[in-house]
Amino acid sequence: MSVESGFDPKIVAFMCNWCTYAGADNAGVARMESPHNILAVRVMCSGRVSPEMVIRAFRSGADGVLVMGCHIGDCHYAAGNHRTAKRMPLLRNLLGYVGINPERMELAWVSAGEAPRFVEVTQAFTKKIRNLGPLAQEVTE
Amino acid sequence: MIAAIREAVAERLGSCDGVVALRRRNGGVAPHLFQKGDELAEMELSPRYPLMTVVSRLHKAFPAIRLGVVARGCDERAYVEMAKRNQIDPTRLEIIGFACTAEEAQACYCREPSPKHPVAGTPPAPGPPNPLVAKYDSLPLEERRSFWKKQFSKCIKCYGCRNICPECFCEACAMEDMAWVEPGLLAPPFPTFHLIRAMHMASRCVACRECEHTCPAYIPLTVLYDLMRRDIADLLGYIPGADIEAQQPLSLSLEQAPLKK
Ligand code: SF4
Ligand code: SF4
Ligand code: FES
Repeated sequence: MSVESGFDPKIVAFMCNWCTYAGADNAGVARMESPHNILAVRVMCSGRVSPEMVIRAFRSGADGVLVMGCHIGDCHYAAGNHRTAKRMPLLRNLLGYVGINPERMELAWVSAGEAPRFVEVTQAFTKKIRNLGPLAQEVTE
Repeated sequence: MIAAIREAVAERLGSCDGVVALRRRNGGVAPHLFQKGDELAEMELSPRYPLMTVVSRLHKAFPAIRLGVVARGCDERAYVEMAKRNQIDPTRLEIIGFACTAEEAQACYCREPSPKHPVAGTPPAPGPPNPLVAKYDSLPLEERRSFWKKQFSKCIKCYGCRNICPECFCEACAMEDMAWVEPGLLAPPFPTFHLIRAMHMASRCVACRECEHTCPAYIPLTVLYDLMRRDIADLLGYIPGADIEAQQPLSLSLEQAPLKK
């Protein structure tokens, strides 16, 4: 499909070390197929992901950015992802305010035991970004 | 009005080490620390200036000093958010507040043009919301994008918006960090520089509009910050500057400060 549309999106996915990264790893061990578009950036906690990091990912050529961490209640640092849960919706709105489609950014909780969910989330997001087209279209046109 | 304020200042000079206000000298107006014996006839109320930043510097440099400050509504709101972040010591500050005029409230789109207990002036009706903010939700993405691209492309990266802001006081500024803002690029590439600042203003911006007044490129920065103020109210029920007891929600847990939607 990427070949047909001529567009193969780049997606930066921030994953917390304790849940999502382990979930992604388990998906790999189980030989499930997740999209090759995902560039993983491992962080110790989703709460580490600052707005600057997301903005920089877009600036560096990402067409979409995923921020993933433990489910609420499971964060290794207790309330690290509580901050993620508050900060990211604000950033998403802000992207929309300057005219970048907020659908290009998504927050998802994926635990270590949810390898199938990891595959589901990343596939669905990749599909969505593929349909939206390259970000460069929006930023530099 | 200024007579009543001068009187209040004279009174405070008895109990405080000094009062921060504006002074006219040699044809210009600048912040000044009035002390006993100073000529209060030189005191001025305009133009607006973020005097709480001056208070903060004095409080830090002189840890025992007790101050008064002549303040507008926006100054008081700025004080509230600064005190929460340990930039001003509320136990060493007395506010001598005065209400702005109706014209000023209009020009600033100010929703709260008076401190809580003004010693002078009658609080006017709040100004209207910025018309662009009022109709913002109906603007399509493309229109927003072309608007801000054009606006941001005027930026000369003077950092005036940050320097004048009473809520910008971090020692290490993300806007000077080469990891996030590439040096040597003018205008800063869309949308890096301005989005970082807008995000950092969430839960801080008290809508004093100093940044917008100071911007040499006339970028309507507070349109974005007003939208962030609206979002933080909708999402977390927080209004920056409104209540010194309310803790700022972005650093609290979801139990302490739950999401409203
Ligand atoms: S004050 Fe205006 S020109 Fe200067 S850095 Fe801020 S936005 Fe850019
Ligand atoms: S209006 Fe501008 S200067 Fe005033 S608090 Fe908000 S960001 Fe800072
Ligand atoms: S450790 Fe996974 S979100 Fe905090």
